[in-house]
Amino acid sequence: MEGDQDTSDFTLVTRKPCFGLPTACPNCLPAYIYLKLAQLPFQLAFNSTFPDSEELPYFESGTYVAYNNEDGGVIEKLEKDGIVNLDSQLQSLPDYLSLKALIVSWLEEALTYEIWVGTEGVCASKIYYSDLPWVIGKVLFYKQTYLTKNRLGLTKENAEQREKLIYKRASEAYEALSTRLGEQKFLFEDRPLSLDAFFLSHMLFTIQVLPETSVLRRKLLEHSNLVRYAERLKSEFLEESSSSPSPPLHSFPSSFSGKGSKPKSKPKAEKSEEEKKFKKRARFFLAAQFLAVVIYVSVMGGGSSDEVEYEDDD
Amino acid sequence: MANPTENPPNREPKYELDIDEGELEEAEDEDDTASNPRTESLFRRMRSAPVPVRVHDVIVKGNEKTKDHIIEAEVEAVIREANTLQELLEASRVANSNLRALDIFDSVNITLDSGPPELPGTTNVAKSSSVEASLKYKNIFGYGDIWDGSMVYGLDSSAEVGLGMYLPRFKALPTPFSSRLYLSTQDWLKFSSYEERSLGLSLGLLSSKYHELVYTVAWRSLIDPSRLASESIRRQLGHSLLSALKYTFKYDQRDSYLRPTSGYAFSSTSQVGGLAPDSRSLRFFKQEIDLRCAVPLGFYAAALNFGVSGGVTFPWGSGYKNRASSVPERFFLGGNSSPVCSLSGPSALWGFSTRGLGPNEARRRGDVERDFVGGDAAVTAFADLSFDLPVRWLRERGVHGHVFACAGNTAKLTENEFRNFSGPKFLETFRTSVGAGIVLPVSLFRMEINYCHIVKKQEHDRAKSGFFLTFSA
Repeated sequence: MEGDQDTSDFTLVTRKPCFGLPTACPNCLPAYIYLKLAQLPFQLAFNSTFPDSEELPYFESGTYVAYNNEDGGVIEKLEKDGIVNLDSQLQSLPDYLSLKALIVSWLEEALTYEIWVGTEGVCASKIYYSDLPWVIGKVLFYKQTYLTKNRLGLTKENAEQREKLIYKRASEAYEALSTRLGEQKFLFEDRPLSLDAFFLSHMLFTIQVLPETSVLRRKLLEHSNLVRYAERLKSEFLEESSSSPSPPLHSFPSSFSGKGSKPKSKPKAEKSEEEKKFKKRARFFLAAQFLAVVIYVSVMGGGSSDEVEYEDDD
Repeated sequence: MANPTENPPNREPKYELDIDEGELEEAEDEDDTASNPRTESLFRRMRSAPVPVRVHDVIVKGNEKTKDHIIEAEVEAVIREANTLQELLEASRVANSNLRALDIFDSVNITLDSGPPELPGTTNVAKSSSVEASLKYKNIFGYGDIWDGSMVYGLDSSAEVGLGMYLPRFKALPTPFSSRLYLSTQDWLKFSSYEERSLGLSLGLLSSKYHELVYTVAWRSLIDPSRLASESIRRQLGHSLLSALKYTFKYDQRDSYLRPTSGYAFSSTSQVGGLAPDSRSLRFFKQEIDLRCAVPLGFYAAALNFGVSGGVTFPWGSGYKNRASSVPERFFLGGNSSPVCSLSGPSALWGFSTRGLGPNEARRRGDVERDFVGGDAAVTAFADLSFDLPVRWLRERGVHGHVFACAGNTAKLTENEFRNFSGPKFLETFRTSVGAGIVLPVSLFRMEINYCHIVKKQEHDRAKSGFFLTFSA
C-alpha cells in the first residue's frame, strides 16, 4: 500500500468467534494472529453465512482488499503489497522454508483430519454452520466432509493407514518444533514471524477447540515447552487489551470433551437456550404437520368406513 | 344448432354431456333444424320473455381417462343454477369456457350454442426480453393435471430450469393449485458485482382474477466470482433461506394492456419473509403499490396515461433497525422496460440503464465502475401521451407515437439510515427524464423506440440522453 490510508481503516473479515477464540476458523486465525504480532491496529468483522468461501479471511482498507485465495493467502498478499511484512529478508532461508512447510502441510493436514474426521465434525458444525438455517447447514456440512475426505485421500480401504500416517507425521512435526524452539520466545530468531502466527494458531485451535479425547491434542500436550510458548505469546500479543489474565491453556475445558464438560460462559448458556427454543419450535411445527396429515386421512377415510358399516348392517 | 326440447311445465329435460376423444357435446334433439316450426316458436318465446326450464340431471359419458368429478366440478355448478332457457344457454357457455380452460381436451363443442366463444388455453406469459423452451404433459393422472418442464434464458443474463405442476382442482382449495420447483441464476456482476443462485419451490395457493397468494421456499446464494464487489455487497455474500408468503391484489380495468386508452389499474403486492421455525431464515417485509390511469382525449385516438409506483422493504426480528436489508429484496430503478405496461412495483424509468441509479459504492481498487446496491424505499411516476400517427399504414398496424416524462428516486433506510431520511431531500434528489418515440405493438409485447433526454440525475447515475429500445410484455 502506498501508506496514504488511515490506519484505523483496517478491517479483517473472518468467521465468527467461538470456543474463547477471536475467530474459531483455523483458516482465519493465522491472519488474525499475524496482524496482532505485527501490532497493526485493526477492526474485526464477521461473515457467518459463507462457510464454503475460499476468500475468507480477507483484509480491507477503503477500496483495497486482500482475499485469501490470491497470491498464496492473505498473509502473503499483505506482505507482497507492503501493508505489513514480518518475514522480510527471511523468505529464502532453507531452515525457514522447511519449518514453514512442516507447519502448513503436515500440521495443517492433521488438523483438517481431526476436525472433519477424527472428531466427526462436531466442532466444525459449531464453527461453520451454526448461524445458517438447519437444512442449508446440514447439506453444506456433508458436502464439505465428503470433499475433505477426498482431499485427504481417504477411502474405506486405506482409512486406518492414512490416519496412522497423519498422526505419525504430526507427532514428528511437534517433536521437531519442540526441539527447534527449546525455551526461546519465538520459533526463528528473536522476533515474531509468520511461522509463529501459523503455529500459534494451530496450537490455540488444537488445545481450545478440539475435545480432550482428541489424539492430536494429546500428542501436542506432551510437549510442555510448546504449551508454554503458546501461553506466553497469547498473553503478550492476543490479550493485551484484556483486563483479566487468561487461565493456562492446558486447563481450558473443551466444549466437546464428553461427559465432564460444562458450559464455561454466559454466551454458551444463552446459545443453548436459543437451541432449545429452536428445537421446541421445530417440534411444534412437525407436530402441526403430523396432525394435519392425520386429520386429512381421517376425513378422507371416513366415507369408506361408513360404507363398510352399512354393509355390515345388511 | 341444437336446442333442448321445449318443456311443458311438469317435464324436466335431461342434459347430457358426451366426452368422446376429448369432445364435449350436448345431447341433440333429432328435430333440431332451424326451419323446424317448434324451434321457431321457441325462439319467439325466448325473445319475448324468459322460458322457464329446470335441469334434471347431468350425465357425463365417454371419458376414459379424465375423472368424472373433474368434469363435473367445472360444469355442474353453473348448469344446475340455470332456471330459464336463456340462463341455460349462458351457463352452457360458461361450462364450455371452464372445460376449455383445463387445457386437457383437444376440442370442446357445445352444439346448443351459436358459435361458442373460442377461449385461449393456458398461455405462457413470457418474461420480457427472454427466450423460453418448455415441454408440457397434460392429464397424466386424470386430474386435469398439467406438468411442464421449462428452460428460460433472459437477455438480462438470467437463466432458469424449472418443473411445474398445475391442478385445476385440489381438495378444498377454491382455485387452481400450482407448484414449481426451480433452479435459477441471475447475473448482476456488471451492475452490482454479485451473482444470485436459487434452488426453490414455489406454491401457488390461491389464484383468481384479482387475488394471488404464493408461498416460496428457496435456498439462495450470493457469490462474487469477479472479486470486485464493494464493501456492502461483500458483507451480503453467502447462503440464506428464503421462506416467504406473497399476496398480490391486481385490478386492471384498462381497455388494453399494450396500449391502454381508458380505464385504471391498481396493484398491491405484500411479501413477508421468515415464515419458518428457524429464526436464521431471511426475515423481511416488502410492500409495493402501483396505480395506473388512462384518459382518452378524443382525437387521433390519443390518450393520457399516468401512473405512480412505490415500495418499501425492511428487515424484522431482533436488531432490525441496525441490520441491513437483503440486496435481492431491495429496489433497483432503471432498465429497458416501459412503465406504462408493467404493474410490478417501482422499477422502470426511461433513459436510465438497468440498476442505473440510487445508492452506490466504489468497487474494489482497480475497477473504476461502481456497484449499485439498491434502496429500501423507492418511488417512480410517469405521464405518457400516446396518439395515432398520420400515416394510415402505420395506424392499421397499431404503430403509434408517444411523448412522455418520468421521475423516480430510491433511498436507503436500514442500518439506522432512516434517522437521516428527509422528505425534502428525497424530493430534491429525484431523477427526471422526458422524451418521445414510436411504439410498435408486436404480438404479445410492446416495443418502443424512444429518444430520451435526461433532465436531472445525480452523480454516478448511469443515464445519458439518446435513443433507446425498450420491450415490455
